[in-house]
Amino acid sequence: MPSFFKNRKEKKDDQDEKNSKKLPQFMGETLAGNLEIIKQRTGNSTDVVIRILNIGFQSEIKAAIVYVEGIVNDESVNDFLIESITNNRALKERMTKQNVLETIAEETIALGNVQTVNKWDELLVSLMSGETIIIIDGTNEAIIAGTKGGEKRSILEPSTELSVRGSRSSFTESIRTNTAMVRRIIKNPNLWLESIKIGKVTKTDVSIMYIKGIANDEIIEEVRKRLTSIDIDSILESGYIEQLIEDQTMTTFPTLYHTERPDMVAGNLLEGRVAIFVDGTPFVLLVPVVFIQFFQSVDDYYVRYDIATAIRFLRIFVFFISLIGPASYVAITTFHQEMIPTLLAIAIAAQREAVPFPALVEALMMEVALEILREAGIRMPRAIGSAVSIVGALVIGQAAVQASIVSPAMVIVVSITAIASFATPSFAIAISARLVRFLFMLAAATIGFYGIILGFIMLIVHLCSLRSFGVPYMSPLAPLIPVNTGDTVVRVPWWTLRQRPRLIGNKNNVREGKGQRPVPPENRGMVNNMIEKGDRDDS
Amino acid sequence: MEKAKLSAYQLFVLVLLFELGSAILVPLAIDVKQDAWLAILLGMAGGCFLFLIYLCLYYYYPNIPPAIYMQKIMGKAIGRALALLYILYFTYLASRVLRDFGEMLVTFAYPDTPMFIVNALLMMAIVYTISKGIEVLARAGELLFVLIYLLAITGFILIVVSGLIDINNLKPMLEEGISPVIKVVFTQTLYVPFGEAIAFTTILPYLNNPKKARVTAISSLWLSGINLALAMAINISVLGVDLASRSQFPLLSTIQSIQVADFLERLDVFFMLALIIGGFCKIGVYLYAAVSGAASLFNVKKPSKLVYPIGLVVLIVSLAIASNFAEHLKEGLQVVTILMHFPFQVIIPLLLLFIAFLKNRKKTG
Repeated sequence: MPSFFKNRKEKKDDQDEKNSKKLPQFMGETLAGNLEIIKQRTGNSTDVVIRILNIGFQSEIKAAIVYVEGIVNDESVNDFLIESITNNRALKERMTKQNVLETIAEETIALGNVQTVNKWDELLVSLMSGETIIIIDGTNEAIIAGTKGGEKRSILEPSTELSVRGSRSSFTESIRTNTAMVRRIIKNPNLWLESIKIGKVTKTDVSIMYIKGIANDEIIEEVRKRLTSIDIDSILESGYIEQLIEDQTMTTFPTLYHTERPDMVAGNLLEGRVAIFVDGTPFVLLVPVVFIQFFQSVDDYYVRYDIATAIRFLRIFVFFISLIGPASYVAITTFHQEMIPTLLAIAIAAQREAVPFPALVEALMMEVALEILREAGIRMPRAIGSAVSIVGALVIGQAAVQASIVSPAMVIVVSITAIASFATPSFAIAISARLVRFLFMLAAATIGFYGIILGFIMLIVHLCSLRSFGVPYMSPLAPLIPVNTGDTVVRVPWWTLRQRPRLIGNKNNVREGKGQRPVPPENRGMVNNMIEKGDRDDS
Repeated sequence: MEKAKLSAYQLFVLVLLFELGSAILVPLAIDVKQDAWLAILLGMAGGCFLFLIYLCLYYYYPNIPPAIYMQKIMGKAIGRALALLYILYFTYLASRVLRDFGEMLVTFAYPDTPMFIVNALLMMAIVYTISKGIEVLARAGELLFVLIYLLAITGFILIVVSGLIDINNLKPMLEEGISPVIKVVFTQTLYVPFGEAIAFTTILPYLNNPKKARVTAISSLWLSGINLALAMAINISVLGVDLASRSQFPLLSTIQSIQVADFLERLDVFFMLALIIGGFCKIGVYLYAAVSGAASLFNVKKPSKLVYPIGLVVLIVSLAIASNFAEHLKEGLQVVTILMHFPFQVIIPLLLLFIAFLKNRKKTG
């Protein structure tokens, strides 16, 4: 049997070789032949435009301009390419068959990005990504002019990461727009950008961006290594990359951060992280991440530290509610009735009198109903969205209670949990909490608070075992790095937040000078002297 | 040995959680009544000396686990036998602690649940943790440490606020002289919980900064001793000597007596949280000591493979060692102390240190 497979494999290799032999690797000399190959390779696609021009002093040189309609910038193709090639008289006189390629490439085209190629594969990839190809009769090289363009969505407000304060722009689907938005924030030559194409079929542009000297070189190398080892036919969204390069796959917790806010990316680059841009998606990936980062929002750094700290406490509290809210209800009503005040216990028992199900079934039903509503709310066409929310509110609220399917207390618990899970700034972590919540409910129904506490310990252990690009997930809390704890659960004032995260960045950690605390001058000279004088005169 | 590095702070946290583990829950040194806190402090002082012995051995062989350096000191045959005995000792202690916790949970919260279920669930969490390695246990310890201290401080404030503390319960000091206290120190508190820190000899080789080991471990023992003494003093001053000595779990009784503003009462769940975290850390460290000892004795490349079988043994032994709680307690106080704690925590380490000292002197001389 092994030999059988071996033979087959060899056969396949042979076939591949034959295929590549059939297709010429390099360009030919004649224009007609080259155009024929382009037509053949693109299957005569109707959006591939081939325009034949006669150039030179006596229009004796034949040339062709090839581009794909819709993904090129029409203005540059017409005004800076066709116009300048055909109408430049001074050059026309000097153009001969021998120097036509160089003349056009170096002197004629009024575009920034021009290069020459002679390989078909490179030429076709450029053609398909929106460049314009100029082929001249009698040369085996082609000019590629950078005319990428076409319709783009304009920059809008972020739709998933809202903030009260801060920039109102969010990323778009165009990778160049996105990198430009970050460059506009960090105007520094050390902001480096590397690009590769991933996806054998889609040839998607993927760029990594970092600040040289602040980002850790080992992490950059690791990102590069993981990205280049991806072998897949298509990358349609940054989620593909996220799932192919994450450290730990057996977890519900995200080990990469995705964001659509340029200020978020800039802030993280300045902490030494590496950003991964993917063409075609407004979500940019950030590595490495730590757990506590998912509870931080850009607002925290813009508002004053006391308010930011209070809000972070609230978020973590809310995360606990969304994890163990329904589980605690199940545990208390099933096992630990004595733990709530007697009057409340009696009230809950009275409400549950009419309910035929055990607390777990009640909680599961409500939670599942809520998840259905939430999922429906996302997929629903806008026009009928409000109908769903009204029906949902009636069904899982009033009607379910009146029909004695659930108790009113359960409705309260479920609604608080639902609101709580929306208050987490990152959708990625909120959705993990949604999943883990069901495990906690099962644990609570099995053995009460003991189950919840054990589940909680196992959750902590699991989180401690995760790593993101080698950085422990729970750092800087565990392992404890005291200088970096100022920006975790609390957010200390900016003038004390002098160091970048130590495990993430380079050795160059200090980001702020000493003595940044604002001190007002003793005498501002802004006292109202008139009144003082008047007072003195009076006395 | 697995590839892992622990910081001094992580060792500090682990030692502290380990020491507080079960000791904070049981009536420690209650035989000397209101002087229990003194017996604990004296036991802690003795425990520090014991730990210095372990540290001296560690400094002779800083990068080698005890199962190997025993063979270097005592020769292959005796060393191996000793290492095996220590593995059994740690396994047995792990199952003893597990039994303690099972009994407590069954007594105060789940009278209708079989102890097997209660123990198995706790063991599941511990086996999961230890299979992830010592680094993960240490990191989880760091987070649980913060949690348990937040609980302790909250509890302390609540006890003070509800006006339960009656200092007169701690008087008179040394009613019957110092000798009963000394006796309790040398029969109880020296070994449990302070001498039990011998389990950390298996963890010390992972330290990234061996120089800090002494300061860290000793200060951790001090802090845990002070905490235990404080907890016991509070228990006695709240409950009175009589109630505290009759109560199975004085800390639980103390917490149950908290009543603030007609709202903050019946805080049993906090006790349960402290109990489970403590038990988790203590059994975890013991299990790790047994697993890593077995791995280095039998040359197992992946210690995590041994966690499941040894964990299962701990679980079954915890159910089989005694037919009821009274028997379990009697074994613990009378048999284990003399037959196990004394030789394993004092005699053998002293012997090892003596021989290691002679050997190393010969080398340098």
